Amino acid sequence: MNKSILYISRRFGFYLIAAFAALTLNFIIPRLMPGDPASIIFARFKGKLKPEAIDAMRESFGLTNDPIITQYASYLKGILQGDLGISIAYFPEPVSEIIGGGLIWTIFLAGSSMVIAFLIGTTLGVIIAWNRTGKLDTILPPALAFFGAFPYFWLAMVVLYIFGFSMNWFPIGRAFGNEVNPGLNTPYLLSVLYHAFLPALTLVFVSLGGWMLSMRNTMISTLGSDYITFANAKGIPSRLIMLRYAARNAILPNLTGFGMALGFMLSGALLTEMIFSYPGQGFLLLQAVQSQDYPLMQGIFMTITLAVLGANWLVDIAILFFDPRTRR
Amino acid sequence: MNNKNNLQQNSIFTRWVSGIIENQKAFSGSCIILFFALVAIFVPFFINSPTDFLGTPLSPPSFEYIFGTNGQGQDVFAQTICGARQTLFVGFSAGILVVIIGALIGGIAGFYGGRIDDILSLLINVFLVMPGLPLMVILASWLPPTPGTLLGVLVLTGWAWNARIIRSQMMTFRNRDFVSAAIISGESNIRIIVVEIMPRMLSLLASAFIGASIYAIGAQVGLEFLGLGDISTVTWGTNLYWASNDLALLTESWWTFVPTGLSIAIVSFALTLINFGIDEVSNPRLISERIWRNKVPKELINHGITPVTSQNE
Amino acid sequence: MNNPIISVNNLSVEYVTGIKSVQAVHNVSFEINSGEIFGLVGESGSGKSTVVQAMMRILPPPALISKGNVFINNEDIMAASEADIINFRWKKISIVMQSALNALNPVLSVREQIHDVLKIHKGLIGIEADNRAKELLSLVDIEYNRLDSFPHQLSGGMKQRIVIAIALAIMPPIIIMDEPTTALDVIVEREIISKVIELRKKLDFTILFITHDLNLLLEFADRLAIMKDGEVVELDEVKNIQKGGKHPYTKKLIGSIPSASGVRQKGLLTKPDKLTFPKDPILEVKDLEKVFQSSNIFNKQKLVAVNGVSFKIFKGEIIGLVGESGSGKSTIAKLVTRLMRPSAGSIYLNGKNKKVTESRNVPLEYRKTVQMVFQDPFGSLNSIHTVYHHLARPLFRHKLKDQTEMFPYIVHLLEKVGLTPGDKFAKKFPHEMSGGERQRVAIARALSLDPQIIVADEPTSMLDVSIRMDVLEIFAKMRKENNLTVLFITHDLASARYLADRIIVLKNGAIVEENASEKLIQSPKKEYTKQLVTAASPGWLSSLGENFEKKEEYNDQ
Repeated sequence: MNKSILYISRRFGFYLIAAFAALTLNFIIPRLMPGDPASIIFARFKGKLKPEAIDAMRESFGLTNDPIITQYASYLKGILQGDLGISIAYFPEPVSEIIGGGLIWTIFLAGSSMVIAFLIGTTLGVIIAWNRTGKLDTILPPALAFFGAFPYFWLAMVVLYIFGFSMNWFPIGRAFGNEVNPGLNTPYLLSVLYHAFLPALTLVFVSLGGWMLSMRNTMISTLGSDYITFANAKGIPSRLIMLRYAARNAILPNLTGFGMALGFMLSGALLTEMIFSYPGQGFLLLQAVQSQDYPLMQGIFMTITLAVLGANWLVDIAILFFDPRTRR
Repeated sequence: MNNKNNLQQNSIFTRWVSGIIENQKAFSGSCIILFFALVAIFVPFFINSPTDFLGTPLSPPSFEYIFGTNGQGQDVFAQTICGARQTLFVGFSAGILVVIIGALIGGIAGFYGGRIDDILSLLINVFLVMPGLPLMVILASWLPPTPGTLLGVLVLTGWAWNARIIRSQMMTFRNRDFVSAAIISGESNIRIIVVEIMPRMLSLLASAFIGASIYAIGAQVGLEFLGLGDISTVTWGTNLYWASNDLALLTESWWTFVPTGLSIAIVSFALTLINFGIDEVSNPRLISERIWRNKVPKELINHGITPVTSQNE
Repeated sequence: MNNPIISVNNLSVEYVTGIKSVQAVHNVSFEINSGEIFGLVGESGSGKSTVVQAMMRILPPPALISKGNVFINNEDIMAASEADIINFRWKKISIVMQSALNALNPVLSVREQIHDVLKIHKGLIGIEADNRAKELLSLVDIEYNRLDSFPHQLSGGMKQRIVIAIALAIMPPIIIMDEPTTALDVIVEREIISKVIELRKKLDFTILFITHDLNLLLEFADRLAIMKDGEVVELDEVKNIQKGGKHPYTKKLIGSIPSASGVRQKGLLTKPDKLTFPKDPILEVKDLEKVFQSSNIFNKQKLVAVNGVSFKIFKGEIIGLVGESGSGKSTIAKLVTRLMRPSAGSIYLNGKNKKVTESRNVPLEYRKTVQMVFQDPFGSLNSIHTVYHHLARPLFRHKLKDQTEMFPYIVHLLEKVGLTPGDKFAKKFPHEMSGGERQRVAIARALSLDPQIIVADEPTSMLDVSIRMDVLEIFAKMRKENNLTVLFITHDLASARYLADRIIVLKNGAIVEENASEKLIQSPKKEYTKQLVTAASPGWLSSLGENFEKKEEYNDQ
């Protein structure tokens, strides 16, 4: 059991370092840019506020004249306390509150889409690699590869256009309808699912191909292993070989890749949210960019990065259960 | 007397190249890319300017404007063709840069090992695990919206993936005897990396370039769609930005975003095809099994049981 | 005449890899009688594994059985239905596969992998299955607490025994063993084989034993077939084959087996009767140590590969460094050739205190003096370069020849190692040559700088048995003609005896014994050396038993 704990802590240590790197990047980037970050931010307020007020805002944003180290220290302290600064577009609301609202929707949409895409894609990959004579193997890989080539947000536009605006089958925005009350009641939950359907469909559609193809490839190379031949010789029925011997081994490299695919698919989810006006981090990010709300942008960067790092760590722990080689 | 070590008939390099050309997937993919590249370079000289305000805004495809007009009355066809130039140029440039950086960092980490590898690996892994889009957004929003910015941002967020792959390939080769033999002959490390190992990573490097280009094109378009590129230029990304800004969905003007999006999809797909082809060339097992499946009658194929094609007493 | 339990008639197997298929096995026929030990001998690529896998029809794609039939217990396997085949697998015939190291599913425990056979064929589950599993493990001398181990936690020898236990699970009347001990140390190999034979006496099954090591089979098989290039070239009782057999290939095989007992076999070149060496050694190693540390911050694991080794080599000597895998011999090779730095100790080249250990950059002079030949003939040549490039580069680097002299010199070198015509070989790429030819190129490369010492790390273990002696002869010739010093590293005591003047026996990183070859073989002093000599000599089977200390090898990660 020792090795497992060592493994988990080592991975945690790594993510801590990555989090630190992200935090530091977040801190440094505005200060590296040509020009005074403060002036860039406050350009719009120039004519509207007195200089003293601007100075006060400067302080609250941490852009003081103190040495960099002090600024960095107070910045870190702030982060640990959950203080992500104050939004410009929604001044004087703190960034953490604005983000907090949207985080859950992003996790819901991106999380569920990814899990669905992974499950369906992996299953398809197993079936196709097993039955390589079938029609599926000739049609699916190129078809799904083609769909995987669509930019997420473009497909989102197409889907929204066809099913939302044109045919009016699905709502064109928001996470749930006006008529329901948030809470654990059926109408609300149904409305949530109804609104999430199109964006989730987009995400699953584009990412399905990647999962299927990589599982197919690992299955094919696993099927060439000696232990499969040995299992055949033992007289083990086909289905058992496919699942217990082949798929169990073939899925391992895909699980390790899951963490990295997370970050990638999340970017797609963010863009999709923008199209669907889905009230998650992506939608917030779009508004932040449009109104040049730097604190909000950076706050979103932090939360998303930390979320991805955390999810990666959870995946690493899950791998412990699947791959005995990491355990002892 | 052949005293020089030229690329001869039978060398791995010529066999690899001819393998790629003969491979259906790689060949068709390359043709599509070539087509787009040629169109992007030459066709703009012969059509309307994409920035002129020519027709009634948001008019559907017609004889005059085969892709219709956008929200400003500009020719969508011209925009699609001209947009290809910068998008493809930046995309492929980013691809090359990513491979060069990846090969440098990954190669050094994989070859030298030890402390150097520990540090570089950490660097690679940290960049790998950070989500790309938010980081790109922050960088791009602080920097002036030039193609140079785009290029820099793409490379910064995309180099790690290839670096890792190249590093692990380099480590495999590093442990091979032919490298030890070269060291024992007294060869310098640089020479070993460049002359002995790199040429054996042809497939990997080609594949890495293609993969990086796919990523660069997609990410670039995403950033521009957000408005972080130079919105006064004509690129595929900005086309989509304006389409969205001019409320394409609400006004049901599908022609303003479908042609650009399809072009992006086709180019990405063609690149993926090339990669499939490269995979097949470097891993002949994939093809040989296909040949077997075609030759053996279907009824005889049973998983786990070797087929017997003829019975005799 | 017994009714044969296995009857193979005109079996042909092909691999469909392109427009033209590759014929792997061609018209193979033989019969095996119930209760006998039948051997199938051949080099790699001779088709022996293909034959037995075809017999069970477990050959993976792109294989195709194009002709012939196989009767097992009077059942025609080629005409059998899918249900019949699944039925007879493991019940009527089981197989211990080549590289059993990879035959076990990495994600399932030993328990699960034994249970699944028991469940499918006998319907045993739960406690009954556990009991049966424990029985099986005890048959092969494995403790039952290993039931919950995973393959990566087991040593090679243990994995092999577990696979044998699985093969015995349903007590089939026939067991095929396909190179079951090739990857194992000689002593462990002998133990496992004697165990199998003991089990056979108890349980009375037929064995079809496949190996490239003819010597092994001559010890315990009843009848055997020799295969070459997909065909059976000799089929007879062992006693007839020991006398020399009928086919020239058989004679060649028998003649290429050096023996570690009896009179030293004559080769093409005899060893010089009198060997005089200069007083000072050309290479001296003192208290050499190499420790490998796991680079983990949390988990420090130390592996002591070389533990205080000292020896001397004199100019013109051939030293045999003999040891099993894990003995440290390859590490010593890398230390002497300066591919690695030692953790402690010193290496003196050419006496006169010319210590090379301190300098970080190995001087070119050292590189010219000490060269190496590697084990894997394909891995040591770079597939993208021609033979010419491989030989010219070192010469160029050391500025030994200019452009005009290069090619003729290389042709001369190639012909010296037996590759004629030299100019044709110079233009070839590695994939255009056989294993033996590639290894000769590797030797030519090592010789090109005219070194004083060559370290040969298992130079023949990956080559076909029939050409091994020829390759060893090259070293003997070089020593005789050029006064070349050779450090010959091997696990095969018999080859060391054949080639080397002096033998150093290595175990777990330390020297066990050191003596002139003949003296070491005739009168070994240490227990381990005695075991090695016995294992390499005919008659080892009968001598196994009480004399052997059995060591369990644990491999805790």
